Amino acid sequence: MSAINVHGLSKRFGDVLAVDGLGFDVEEGTVVGFLGPNGAGKTTTLRMLLGLVAPTAGTATFGGRAYRELTAPTRMVGAVLEASGFHPGRSARNHLRVLATAAGLPGSRVDEVLGQVGLADAAGRRVGGFSLGMRQRLGLAAALLGDPGVLLLDEPANGLDPEGIHWLRGLIRRQADEGRTVLVSSHLLAEVAQTVDQVVIIARGRLVAHSTLADLTASAAAAVRVRTPQAEALRDRLAAGGAAVQLDGPDKLVVTGVTTEQVGRAAAAAGIVLHEMRFERSNLEEVFLELTNHGGNRS
Amino acid sequence: MTRLVNAELVKLRTTRTAVGVFALTVAVTALIMTAVMLIAGRPGQPAIDSGILPDLVVVAKGPLVIFALILGVLGMSGEFRHGTATPTFLVTPHRGRVVAAKVVAHALAGVTLAAASAVVALGIGLPWLRSKGVEVAIFDADVGSRLLGLAATSALHAVLGIGLAALIRNQVVAVAAGLLWMRIEDLLPAVLHRPGLGRWLPEGAAAALTGASPATLSMWAGGLLFAAYGVALALIGTRFVVRRDLT
Repeated sequence: MSAINVHGLSKRFGDVLAVDGLGFDVEEGTVVGFLGPNGAGKTTTLRMLLGLVAPTAGTATFGGRAYRELTAPTRMVGAVLEASGFHPGRSARNHLRVLATAAGLPGSRVDEVLGQVGLADAAGRRVGGFSLGMRQRLGLAAALLGDPGVLLLDEPANGLDPEGIHWLRGLIRRQADEGRTVLVSSHLLAEVAQTVDQVVIIARGRLVAHSTLADLTASAAAAVRVRTPQAEALRDRLAAGGAAVQLDGPDKLVVTGVTTEQVGRAAAAAGIVLHEMRFERSNLEEVFLELTNHGGNRS
Repeated sequence: MTRLVNAELVKLRTTRTAVGVFALTVAVTALIMTAVMLIAGRPGQPAIDSGILPDLVVVAKGPLVIFALILGVLGMSGEFRHGTATPTFLVTPHRGRVVAAKVVAHALAGVTLAAASAVVALGIGLPWLRSKGVEVAIFDADVGSRLLGLAATSALHAVLGIGLAALIRNQVVAVAAGLLWMRIEDLLPAVLHRPGLGRWLPEGAAAALTGASPATLSMWAGGLLFAAYGVALALIGTRFVVRRDLT
């Protein structure tokens, strides 16, 4: 059963098509990385899911029900959006008290979530004096207030120091272990690669990939990098043999679709001198860049 | 709905804004009362007799309604200014309910401001009149109706502030528009050569609450009309502005 359904979702702001026919489902109990470069439409998509932005077309629902139609939204969905949604003059505890009161949640939840995000000691301080990292933690506390089954986290690692990011990963993992569904957005694949089961990658408002992390890693293309004074001659020779070759500087080639052995044999046969040759498997981040830069429709 | 009104009351109590406006109301009322005591009885000023008491109740009405209006504007526009609209609307996706809760909570805040102002005015005025040897009856129908009117006009100005800010998201522009309108409304009947128009305009209608006269509507009609202005602004603002995309 899927927890989140996005179908044919589009949003136009004036001349800008921020989200363009986006569709994906998130299965219950999975942790999904929602990835794309800045401006890809991640935040707009999350805000449409949460009923804060009205879609131009399509639907974004939680198991078929729009956020607005949920009977107790805070008990079903928790969201961390940007770090700015706090009155600077209100204390962290009072910020959460306001939300708990409106949601009809017991006041005891306030101190529980403050402890959960490590803000118990700062609970009485005005949010205006909080660091970005503390605001992120307070945002997370607000999201956890209703003990929801689905968490939407928009760039939650922003402003966190390395220790904070480590803590955040642990928190997300614990939420997942308890059977919750987590959709966590980021513009950095590496940031979420340790945490997520699946990735949904978008670029320019469109879906470019939706797969497990393992499949994405497997699809990372391998390349042979060659340094030779006769780069053009080798390029022609390899291209004639069916390899994809790119000049990467006057004496460098990047060859894909062949092994180092094949390159070596081709060079020897043509009497070409090689100064350097190495096999390179591109990492996840490069796959991500590749996908988001030349995003077609792969799923 | 009670939950949402309570949440709005917690919001009001947990920042310095409402406390500041409350303190300002108390201070300004005390200041005006001091001025009244200094000049009363002089030629052209009210006489120091038992008839002055109802007027003392509403002595700080002018600044009070402006404070109430500003409190209402801040209560609504602050959500957009500080970005708290996002968590607020996440908890309560039906935005109209949030605006309705704000209307109720800020009306209560307006009543509180009016009560504070009246208590200060009477707290200073009664001993002063006694010291002048004036016998005053505090349980007087006139005093009672002024108290009621003051509470109502303060409450409804706070509602008007919510309505204004629902329509105009920008805090400064919303406050400026409210104050500017008060000035324009003073001039409008004369400019349009319609002297009878004033009583139908918002502030003219509100004036009936604290001092009905042949030139104004009755207290009830004026109050209802003024309330209608505030609620209409809030409804239009909710429909066309508050429901906009929150990016």
